[in-house]
Amino acid sequence: MIPQNINTKFGVIRRIHLWYGLLMIVIAIFGIRLFYVQVINYSHYKNAALSDQLKQYQIPATRGLIEALDGNQAVPIVLNQKLYTLYADPKYIKKPDQIAQKIVSVIGGNISTYVKYMTIPKLRYVILAKKLTKQQSNKILSFKIPGIGTQGQDYRLYPEGSLASQVLGFVNSNGQGEYGIEQAMNKELAGTPGRVKAVTDANGVPLAASKGNVEVPPVNGDNIVLTLNLGIQAQLENILKKDYKSTKSQGLSAIVMDPYNGHIVAMANYPTYNPANYTNVTNPAIFENAAVTNAIEPGSVMKTLTTPAALNQGVIKPNTTFYDPAHWIVDGFDIHDIKIDGGAREQNIASILSLSLNTGAVWMLMQMGGGRIDKKGIDTWYNYMVNHYNLGKPTGIEQGYESAGYVPPPNMSDPSIDLRYANTVFGQGVQLTALQLAAADSSIINGGTYYKPTLVDEIIQPNGVVKINKPKVLIKNVVSPKVGADMIPLEENVVKAYLHGGFGFMSFPPQYIVGGKTGTAQVAKPTGGYYKNIYNGTYTGFVGGNKPQYVVDVYNIRPGVQGYAGSFAGQPVFADIVHMLINQGYVTPKTN
Amino acid sequence: MDRLKSTFVNKLLVSADDISLGRKHKPDYWLIIICGALLLIGVIMIYSMGPALKITTGLSGSFYTSRQILAIVLSAVAFMITSYIPIPLWKRYYKLIVLAGLVATLLALVIPVNPAYPAHRWVRIGSLSFQSVELVKLSLVIWLAVFLSNAIKKGTIKDFRKTLLPLLIAVPVIGVIIAGAQSDLGSVGVIVGFMAVMSYVAGLPLKKIAIIGGIIAIGLIFAIIAFPYRIARIEAYLHPSSNCQTANDYQACQALVGVGSGGLFGLGLGHSIQAYGYVPEASNDSIFSIYAETFGFLGSIILLILFASLFSRLKNIAEKTSDSFSSLLVIGVLTWLSVQTLINIGAMIGILPLKGITLPFISYGGTSIVFSAAAVGIVFQISRYTSRVVQAEDSSANDSDRRQLNGDRLNGRRVRGAYHPYPGSRI
Repeated sequence: MIPQNINTKFGVIRRIHLWYGLLMIVIAIFGIRLFYVQVINYSHYKNAALSDQLKQYQIPATRGLIEALDGNQAVPIVLNQKLYTLYADPKYIKKPDQIAQKIVSVIGGNISTYVKYMTIPKLRYVILAKKLTKQQSNKILSFKIPGIGTQGQDYRLYPEGSLASQVLGFVNSNGQGEYGIEQAMNKELAGTPGRVKAVTDANGVPLAASKGNVEVPPVNGDNIVLTLNLGIQAQLENILKKDYKSTKSQGLSAIVMDPYNGHIVAMANYPTYNPANYTNVTNPAIFENAAVTNAIEPGSVMKTLTTPAALNQGVIKPNTTFYDPAHWIVDGFDIHDIKIDGGAREQNIASILSLSLNTGAVWMLMQMGGGRIDKKGIDTWYNYMVNHYNLGKPTGIEQGYESAGYVPPPNMSDPSIDLRYANTVFGQGVQLTALQLAAADSSIINGGTYYKPTLVDEIIQPNGVVKINKPKVLIKNVVSPKVGADMIPLEENVVKAYLHGGFGFMSFPPQYIVGGKTGTAQVAKPTGGYYKNIYNGTYTGFVGGNKPQYVVDVYNIRPGVQGYAGSFAGQPVFADIVHMLINQGYVTPKTN
Repeated sequence: MDRLKSTFVNKLLVSADDISLGRKHKPDYWLIIICGALLLIGVIMIYSMGPALKITTGLSGSFYTSRQILAIVLSAVAFMITSYIPIPLWKRYYKLIVLAGLVATLLALVIPVNPAYPAHRWVRIGSLSFQSVELVKLSLVIWLAVFLSNAIKKGTIKDFRKTLLPLLIAVPVIGVIIAGAQSDLGSVGVIVGFMAVMSYVAGLPLKKIAIIGGIIAIGLIFAIIAFPYRIARIEAYLHPSSNCQTANDYQACQALVGVGSGGLFGLGLGHSIQAYGYVPEASNDSIFSIYAETFGFLGSIILLILFASLFSRLKNIAEKTSDSFSSLLVIGVLTWLSVQTLINIGAMIGILPLKGITLPFISYGGTSIVFSAAAVGIVFQISRYTSRVVQAEDSSANDSDRRQLNGDRLNGRRVRGAYHPYPGSRI
């Protein structure tokens, strides 16, 4: 009995030892494993921890405001507004019906729609509504509903609605400026976001205790004061809207520019849009500021550039007369006047402009050469176009997607180069934006200084430093001051000729000088050649008192009027703008 | 007082029980020292996590610390009670505590404390609530000790019908209730663990235990298949990921990252980052991860050594008890605490799948601490009656001698240098 019991007991001890031994071996394995994890593989796990714990955040910078001049006062036309996005985390949504009811009580909407979104399985972030006001956001947050939250986001606010929309552009949902000044000056407007690099809790809130946190505060964007005169801009837009209809236009652009500093006083296109609702726009072409993005063959307005070039070369004088054969045969093509005024006869420089004689313009090209279309004439004219009038390249205005236009290269080995260049002097086969035309004409009218056209008057840095955008001279001696002075009466004469020709709307009060030139441009087919019955109507001109104060350009794309597009679709828009400028007192009259 | 008590005990012994007590002597105070140290570490960890707990749970850090201190006070009370209850009483009234465990489990299943929480683990009595499974563990250890020691005494330990069959029935019942209804697979692991070890130590043939083990394994596989989240945990264990955001098991991954990022010396007390919402259950099941992150490899090893020394003390007591009931009771407590510790830490260091059980004495939460302390209290009482050398199995004829002998007999040989207060009175 006893030995058996002892054996049993002995067996117990043995088994206890066996179990205990096993236990100690497992604990030893745990110790080895700990050494492996905590010491040998420390850096692996440290990195894994930091990849979760160390978070880098951008602190968004506040985007700069855009202001424009109302009288002498800069007033904001683009502001920022913090709006809130309402989101749900379906994982934490209990009783979606009741939650939806609460949401509806604050922001309206449809209960079943909210319920549908809140109960999408497996998603952790569902946007229920956007652009809530701060009050609405706070109201919803005050319900303290698990799984419901709001996120603030800066939105652009446009107190003037669609005013100058294409000049302004908009800010997309990623905070990037698109089109207009928002795109061109995105860097200045956006500022530099700050950043925080910190060890955070699982919700991303930085832990104050952790060492080595980095915090760089954001630098807010600059405010930009535009050169736009809000009064003129608003009325220009009204005129374009009205004339778009009356001329049955397919697109109307106009620029009012100060020829003495390159400032754009007003710049508009129609149709337009409201940047606050840019997402509703179906045709992105409407976003473009066509006055700077759309280069077309401008037609006879080009003669306001050809004439001063020839004058400046000294090959003609303002009172030069010549015999106009009414047509030239160039490279086998018959170049003739669109407007036939009695056929071949004696003409002069003023009548070349007032009658818009293509043959006269070609004659000027011949004069710049050796009396015929030759290399010398072509090179000279090319030099004027590119190096005097700054054509064929962007002006550098602060706008997105500015077009360079097109100037044909003076490639003499081209068998039809003579015809090509003969066309350019009356505005075919060469492409200009309305802005390029306005800037080049400004440089002639002002006596020979090409100012870089600009929309920016001042840049106000977040620290309050105001940087005035001084006029920037791109090209000097475009033409001589004498040529500039000669062009004024020549263009005034055109206006008078039209008035006498029955265009009563071209009548302006005598204490103002108004000059200009029409253009009726053939429209090139994409496949080559020109449309038979489609024209663009253009106009370039100026208005002032003792001297020209504003250069005014109009591009009317494919108007549906009878008669020459320049005269009947470009010119009336110009007249409306000039009347407005005069009537509203924006033009300083002549002093006696 | 002592005198009175021993008379009371003797009465009990004479009347019914056949427990042979050794001579009463100083208990093993190391139990109190080690468990006290573990409890202190736990409360310090919870205090240091205060700011993190406030962020992750919204309740203040002092709430958790004071609750944990309250739990420690309660556990001290529980310890004092059980450490003074004479061992024969447990054997005599074990049915009461088994009944209590059963009632608690039924209450937990029938009356959910929090309707939102589907696992029926909690019982509320007045303002106190506790997890029924901890009482079940204690009652099962006691029941098994009674059952197995009786089987030893009756010589039926190897009898299939009388010994193995009841155990074979008990395991799936426990499994269905605790792993199924209470979704507490970790506790089932602990219970099955001490059932197996106690049976093995009691002398059940290893082969038969292996058969039971096979049955349990099949049960486990079913339990895992029945609950897809368990598959995810197993998969996470088999395919660890270095990016916890895409890991199969976020918690296990973050726990391991916490351990590893502690390095050799740790980030220092109060500087845990993982506690800030990265490791779920940072104060409960995952507290070892935060501890290892805080105190590094050196701290982790110190904690392992503390646990190992607790197990070592328990083992020493188990092998020096004067009867098989006490011995099995201690082995049960030892296995309960050690398996629970290993399952918990094993999950934290990525060598076992995550099971969701507490780390004894360290994790936040009163139930585990109180019942663990109560169990150690029982062992503490047993430690008053150990022999310095291993005792022979009980034999009623030797009962009266044992107190004087102090068991220097082992296979009839005298153990040299053994303590021998009354050498002259040997038989």
